[in-house]
Amino acid sequence: MNAAPLARRPLGCLKASLRQARQQRTTAAAPAAFLARQLSTVTPTVAGTGALPEHNFFRMIDKKTKKTRSAFAVYAQPPPVPATTAAQATLLPAPPPDPMPHLAAEQIKSMDPTGARTALFTKTRYAARVGDVLMVTHRRGGEPFAGVCLAIRRNGIDTSVLLRNHLSKVGVEMWYKVYNRNVAGIEIVKRRAKRARRAKLTYMRQPKHDMGSVADLVFAWKKTRKVIGSKPGAGKGAQSAKKRK
Amino acid sequence: MLQLKSMLNCIDNSGASIVECVMVVGQKRHASIGDRIVCVVQKQRGASESGMTASSNATKVKRGDIRHAVVVRTKQKVSRRDGSVVRFDDNACVLINKAGDPIGTRINGIVGQELRTKKWSKILSMAPMQA
Repeated sequence: MNAAPLARRPLGCLKASLRQARQQRTTAAAPAAFLARQLSTVTPTVAGTGALPEHNFFRMIDKKTKKTRSAFAVYAQPPPVPATTAAQATLLPAPPPDPMPHLAAEQIKSMDPTGARTALFTKTRYAARVGDVLMVTHRRGGEPFAGVCLAIRRNGIDTSVLLRNHLSKVGVEMWYKVYNRNVAGIEIVKRRAKRARRAKLTYMRQPKHDMGSVADLVFAWKKTRKVIGSKPGAGKGAQSAKKRK
Repeated sequence: MLQLKSMLNCIDNSGASIVECVMVVGQKRHASIGDRIVCVVQKQRGASESGMTASSNATKVKRGDIRHAVVVRTKQKVSRRDGSVVRFDDNACVLINKAGDPIGTRINGIVGQELRTKKWSKILSMAPMQA
């Protein structure tokens, strides 16, 4: 117990001294005599504090001037809540359900009212998969970015896709958030012939496996789409389903 | 994530082919797209492909020159405000003079869109493509 430095310390360490005083009080009754030596303890407290809970009031008196240098009150801890019995526990209301799934569903609903984006990346037969060539169109103008999908991060509202392409002979990779409002549409340009046996096709960064530019694929796909688009009412297959909001 | 000793491709026609970063200007962190660096020209373009650019009198910089440059592509991912992230396969820069004007007259290669927010409009207008 080092109350001596406590007494020596000036102001500004009220919190520390409070903590110390609490410790002293909890250890035993012995500190009372100890404190009496160091501090002048005034238990009946200041007048007009009847509403206040029971507390000890301490004054630190300067040895030289014999004046009050610092003073503080220490309140007793509130009595512990009695443990609930089994009968009481049954009467208690059930804990509230986890709000997070509900919140996530609400967020997805607000960002994707039609459900097209969700449908494109939930694990179904028609969904986009890694290895497919996707094209992302921006709402803020600019060229649409096409590339082979190397990875899909399925993470609720944070779901995102990694596309890789070569632009002017330099490999470029882009992560796009699926539920981003700036992403106007995600289209499947070309399906992978065979299902990829990996979840993440990062090996496609290696020169040996690199697909190179997908510009020709996109060009061919755009040509076919134009043919289909010229006929009004011609149903587009799920292969080139336009996922626009 | 470019710092001291990082090697970058130079993608303008100033004459430099590979440069080495010796300092990041104006900050104590690593350089990213749109940041200004000081670099040393390590390889000239004429030296490697002597046959193609025979008229190498267009080279404005020599090996050993210390120049300023702007980073235009990084291998390190750069995230954008809307949550999208861009990453290139190489680190590349464009040489500039002290005033901030490009030394070369043309850029061959894609540059990052972050240059727009960092006010490098001259470089952006010279670039054939931006991502």
